[in-house]
Amino acid sequence: MKKRTWMFLLVAACTSSIFYACSKGDNGGNDTGGNAPDAFKTAMLTNYADTLIIPAYTDLLAKLQALETAANTFLTSPSTNSQATLKVSFKDAYISYEKVAFAYFGPGGTAALNNSLNVFPANTKRIEAGIASGTYSFTVPVASDSIQGFPALDYLFFSTDAVTKFADAGAANRKKYVQDIVSRMKSLVTDVLSQWKTNYRAGFIANTKLDVGSSMGYIINQLAFEMDQMKGPRIGWPFGKMSGGTAYPTNCEGYYGSFSVSLAVANLTSLKNYYTGGTGRGIDDYLLLLGKSSLNSTVLARFDAAIAALQAIPEPMSASFTNSNSPYIDDAYTKIQLLLTAIKTDVASATSIRITYQDSDGD
Amino acid sequence: MEIKYLTDKKSIAPLVVFRIAFGAMMFFSTIRFWARGWITELYVKPSFYFPLMDWQWAKPLGSTGMHLLFILIAVSALCIALGFFYRIATVLFFLSFTYVELIDVTNYLNHYYFVSIVSFLLILLPANRYFSLDVRRNTSIRCLYVPAWTIGVIRLQMGIVYVFAGIAKLNYDWLIQALPMKIWLPAKSHLPLVGPLMYKTWVAYLFSWFGAIYDLFIVFFLINKKTRPIAYAFVLLFHISTAIFFPGIGMFPYVMIVGSLVFFDESVHYRILRLLGNSTVEGEEKMYYFKPPVQRSIFLLLGIYFLLQLLLPFRYLVYPNHLFWSEEGYRFSWRVMLMEKSGNTFFYVKEPASGKKYEVANNTFLTPLQEKMMSTQPDMMVQYAHYLQQVYAQKGINDPEVYADGYVALNGRPSAQYIDSTVNLAKQAVGWQHYTWILPYKHNQ
Repeated sequence: MKKRTWMFLLVAACTSSIFYACSKGDNGGNDTGGNAPDAFKTAMLTNYADTLIIPAYTDLLAKLQALETAANTFLTSPSTNSQATLKVSFKDAYISYEKVAFAYFGPGGTAALNNSLNVFPANTKRIEAGIASGTYSFTVPVASDSIQGFPALDYLFFSTDAVTKFADAGAANRKKYVQDIVSRMKSLVTDVLSQWKTNYRAGFIANTKLDVGSSMGYIINQLAFEMDQMKGPRIGWPFGKMSGGTAYPTNCEGYYGSFSVSLAVANLTSLKNYYTGGTGRGIDDYLLLLGKSSLNSTVLARFDAAIAALQAIPEPMSASFTNSNSPYIDDAYTKIQLLLTAIKTDVASATSIRITYQDSDGD
Repeated sequence: MEIKYLTDKKSIAPLVVFRIAFGAMMFFSTIRFWARGWITELYVKPSFYFPLMDWQWAKPLGSTGMHLLFILIAVSALCIALGFFYRIATVLFFLSFTYVELIDVTNYLNHYYFVSIVSFLLILLPANRYFSLDVRRNTSIRCLYVPAWTIGVIRLQMGIVYVFAGIAKLNYDWLIQALPMKIWLPAKSHLPLVGPLMYKTWVAYLFSWFGAIYDLFIVFFLINKKTRPIAYAFVLLFHISTAIFFPGIGMFPYVMIVGSLVFFDESVHYRILRLLGNSTVEGEEKMYYFKPPVQRSIFLLLGIYFLLQLLLPFRYLVYPNHLFWSEEGYRFSWRVMLMEKSGNTFFYVKEPASGKKYEVANNTFLTPLQEKMMSTQPDMMVQYAHYLQQVYAQKGINDPEVYADGYVALNGRPSAQYIDSTVNLAKQAVGWQHYTWILPYKHNQ
């Protein structure tokens, strides 16, 4: 008995010392590019926080401030001229939003930022009812989503006879409604940005795990999620992919301002930027570290092909859904589907990150 | 039929410890399952389920019903541990637990299958004849000895799990390519101490080969009395490592760590029982006897049972396709953590008369986990297609046909088209037959 107990202890001691010794050994091998691997992931996540996500929120906040100024000018003297000036600021801000849509986790997720800023199509009936009665709430989850944010402003600023409506009997309520939306957008973004700058950033960078709810888990999941949004609500649904070919052109993003294609291009371009990490370390570098260079080339090529296909769609997208330009939409749709498959299947598999929002056992 | 070796007089202690450990572990894992909200998440929220073999009678019972069912599982597990109305408890546990597993193959796990079949074995075994509330209620049933086979079946079952898990690893990807370890380990670089090693290729090979050799041979070292303590040290090392490296496998390591105790002889088990409470060995040295006709029937039943256990893992050989690719004959074969596979499937519903095509938003009908599982498992695709046919017919589409465009990546190879997108899946059946519409696996990918 004694002898066996000794041997038991010996195996236990050996195995733990092997683990210890190995971990102390040479870890600066060239397969990690001269860096300890945790340092690689930390540097990558720092890049995501400091050069992509936080600057994107900062930019959006600045663009919203510019939008507020332009909106106030327009509201003071509504005219087709001031409307045209406003449209520039509005489009700028909307495009800036497309660069934060990706970061729908952490503070942005908790604040349900995307729900308040960009659920489209806007529910125009409920918006008009709210303006007429002067009573509305922007804080009821789900129910409030489609009466605020960019889609609501898009409708209020740029729908037919928008200018005249700001000068008619109900103009005071309408102006207040616009100002309420803009100030809510500003305060939400201010709040999310300050949380990123204060508490969230450190935790985001420190979490080098890859499981569900980890920083890299969010990054891959959000790339796939936003592409799904592109394939569905942004293009597929209004184009009639889900409805047997019956198109719903008014349901597309930025319908009234007629710059849906620009928004889609901005969105996908920003996703590519989130994939590459811009000039710093990104998922592409991580794939290279894992020896997946041909997959990385495939993904980059599919990004470029999908972006080019989107750029080829003539504005307004809503018209292209139903006129002779619809093959361009089909083409972009197919290329996005290919890109989505590469991210959702190949990249997720190569990084062993699960595309799911659920925690469970699995074997 | 009366083989001496099988009916030898053996101490009941290993069987009793196994009963207590199994019951207690099932009790706590049921509580854990509940506490994590998985009853609601997996058996209440989904609008559609994938019953095993398309057995439509295996339906979820609604929120109240499912929670009551899990209470039944927990209570019967506790009764097994305490040895309280043991026979009824094992039957109830086996039926209720197995019923839950049949509702949705999305949640299929090898260790759930293990729990089901072990609880079935426990129904037949006199594991409550010592150190139990049943004995306290009626001391006349107390036995210190049982026929050897009652412990042997548990050991054999454990052995089957290990050896088949080992055989499953004897494939090109696992041994020669160190896949999927090469993919999975870098995801663990956050671990303290060993983290930096996770990118090293040799570590992936070490894990692969160690895992295969361990699974193939551990049971033989556990059987041998001389090597048993060292072998158990390896059991601890192996399963604790898997629990650290792959927390996703949940309870499985603990089930095997505790289950492997059954290989120890009575002295160890008496010590465990003494830790748990007063367990006198004094008193009548009675042995539990099965009536000869009963024992013969049980032998026959167990013969069939173990024959099935030995055959099921090899049934894949009758299918022409690559096993990991098509998964025909994959389940119930102890293929645990064996491959990295993910997929993405787009479904289309077509109305033949009008030529209209409707793309399906899978997330309206499936949970993310269901969609993920369905995207790599062909029988689930067919079940889903049948469901879509119904849903779209109700929406007013005439004779809906269902087609799927799926891509699957296996062990890090580039994703490839998975099924024939010109086949109307709504017209296909779920069953044991070979699914001809799965595209062949391309080895050169």
